[in-house]
Amino acid sequence: MKFDFVVLGATGEEGNIASKDLLESEYSVLLCGRNKSRVKNLLEYKKAKFAYVDLNDIKKTASILKSSGAKIAVNCAELKMNLNAMKSCLISGLHYLDLGGLQEMTIQQYKLDKDFKKKKLTALLGCGSTPGISNVMASYAVDKLDSVEHIEVGFAWDSNIKKFILPYSIESIAHELTTDPIILDNGKFKKAKACAFEGELKFKGVEKQNTYCIVHSEVFTFKKYFGKKGLKFVHYKAGFPEHSFRGLDIIIKLGFGSKEPIKINEINLRPIDFTREVLKKIPRPKNYRETEDVWIKAYGEKKGKPKKIEMDCVVKTLKGWEKFGSNINTGMSISIMAQMLNKNLIKKTGITAPEEAVPPTPFFKELKKRRMKIYEDNKKIN
Amino acid sequence: MKAKIGILGLGSMGKIIAKDLAETFNGKIIYLARDVNSIKELAKKNNAETRYADVSKPKTLVKAFKDIDVVIHAVHHEFNLNVMKACLKSKTNYIDLGGLYHYTKKQLKLNNQFKKANLTAIIGMGASPGITNVMAKYASGFLGKIEDIEIKIGYKDFSTYNQISPLSASYSIQTILEEFSWKPAVFVNGKIKFVEPISGREEYKFPEPVGMQKPQYTIHSEIATLPYTLKAKNVSFKIAFDDEFVDKIKMLKEMGFVSDEIIEVGENKFNAKDVSLEILKKLPKTIPEKINQYEIIRVIVSNKNKKIIMDAKIFGEEIDKDTGVPPSIISQMIANGKITSKGVFPPESIIPEEYFFRELAKRRIYIYKNNNRIN
Repeated sequence: MKFDFVVLGATGEEGNIASKDLLESEYSVLLCGRNKSRVKNLLEYKKAKFAYVDLNDIKKTASILKSSGAKIAVNCAELKMNLNAMKSCLISGLHYLDLGGLQEMTIQQYKLDKDFKKKKLTALLGCGSTPGISNVMASYAVDKLDSVEHIEVGFAWDSNIKKFILPYSIESIAHELTTDPIILDNGKFKKAKACAFEGELKFKGVEKQNTYCIVHSEVFTFKKYFGKKGLKFVHYKAGFPEHSFRGLDIIIKLGFGSKEPIKINEINLRPIDFTREVLKKIPRPKNYRETEDVWIKAYGEKKGKPKKIEMDCVVKTLKGWEKFGSNINTGMSISIMAQMLNKNLIKKTGITAPEEAVPPTPFFKELKKRRMKIYEDNKKIN
Repeated sequence: MKAKIGILGLGSMGKIIAKDLAETFNGKIIYLARDVNSIKELAKKNNAETRYADVSKPKTLVKAFKDIDVVIHAVHHEFNLNVMKACLKSKTNYIDLGGLYHYTKKQLKLNNQFKKANLTAIIGMGASPGITNVMAKYASGFLGKIEDIEIKIGYKDFSTYNQISPLSASYSIQTILEEFSWKPAVFVNGKIKFVEPISGREEYKFPEPVGMQKPQYTIHSEIATLPYTLKAKNVSFKIAFDDEFVDKIKMLKEMGFVSDEIIEVGENKFNAKDVSLEILKKLPKTIPEKINQYEIIRVIVSNKNKKIIMDAKIFGEEIDKDTGVPPSIISQMIANGKITSKGVFPPESIIPEEYFFRELAKRRIYIYKNNNRIN
């Protein structure tokens, strides 16, 4: 069987969402991962098959990618695997998309630009909600300005029932909350304090939320693509509801996010691997609903006058996708971008990012089909 | 021949016991530990002998206890029964720091065996259980028939620290995790009732400087003995922790980190609580600059006509001392022949109160009856 797409890390939550979205769109998908039982729901689709893939083995992964017959690999595995997945794509000749590499990994990934260009392949980095939707909204806004000086970007979410549910990958959260982020300050990259409190802000559909400065790849890519328009400041602000942040803060401060192995009955165990499995077991209460606002604020000039453009993408728990809550905006976004690449709506080769490669209007249209609303200065535009 | 007292386990409590024995006991002291090398320096300083003993390997205990008069068990309470059985084989008297209700119940069942072996076992002989039980017994002497016994513990810390652990606890974190997850026993109207962990948390004003605290029901071994030994109708135990500490443990509990559920990670299976405990043990330790802690252990014993409030106060020192000092005092009383009854006893059934209180006063732990110091 020849496949339209390969999804790496299909066994994780985002991989599951992306695969389901591709399968619902009638594409055939090779679901790759290490634990088949985690894609049981997806194997009910006729056009889905599972393949055991360990991304630590680049050559073996490349051979599975090649024999799949697919042209595009959608990487939803943990970000530490991004370089291995890209190298496998280079060997097998597949286009590549992923969910982002925060800052350090993103910088490493850009070093493969020449290799992808040489093979006329696209590697689109950061195709989830943020990075992803946030980048496309930023390019839409910046395009309307003659110059841009400052972009604020981030997310905020809340739930109707105030119970702790793991909001997204604990690996990413532990990294984001403990790594000193880089901010763009007066045109220069500068280190800030990990998870510094950024104040309480009001968000569309979410209301008031405390925000924290965390490490994110937008700071790096916005400078790369909007620098020529005068961009001097980028700040990333994550908004968590109190009941969620308190829990995350406690488990990280108490060592449950550590990657340093400890010995349990002579077995080496990384606390973060244990924590992931414990947190996955927390059930979502009945009628639990989430709302998330992915947002950007671009400050610049238009015709010599100061102008600010605010963009929001609001997503709510979707019928039929309840178990994923608001995380659908990440998995669905990468699926949409992969489909756009497949339809030749994304043409750029080499390493690129959504703000450079993804045309906003058709992308926003696809988001609308999945009940994700885009607002420009509080006015719905999709 | 000099009497011999052994300390099994030289953790934080074992070290306090060791210090008190080194300062006050005229006999021979033996340190019993799994990692003998780690206690060599302390043993040399305190002129103690060291022997290998592993609580999970009963045979090593029997061998190590040979010729010791009294063993103070200062490892975790899950090993209480193992150690008691080893004492029966080695003919050694026994003291421990408590059995968190459920173990206490099982330990009391060894009474006949200890009696038959002509040995004394005193269980729950720290601060609480321990000082609490003896204070309850002392107060009961002024009342005749008892209705209620309420135990409440509060503390305040004015110490300065060079480093504070993200989960600073005044005693074993394993015990605290159990206390926060096991249903506390409360004796109500002559019957044992199990209530929700961390329940009954309400403001209570202790004498200054401890002041306003929020004690909560906690599983404790006093409830396993006082209702029967002192024939009270209602017995409860509450201890106060600060809000931030309770919040952290509650959160870990809600998330499933403190449960006994089996967690699969890759091909391996782990008990959630065991792994969590190991993770918490790796946290940076609290390093004090100047210790200045205040604790009040309050026991209110009453009937319809009269109420007696007993307080044990330890002020301006390291409050853990009140758990380590009592077993040192009592082990010396057994070793010196001041306690001779045979069998398994909770403290209220065997400790001569006034002598014990006098010994506590020598260590700056003061006992008050209705706000008047009595030791």
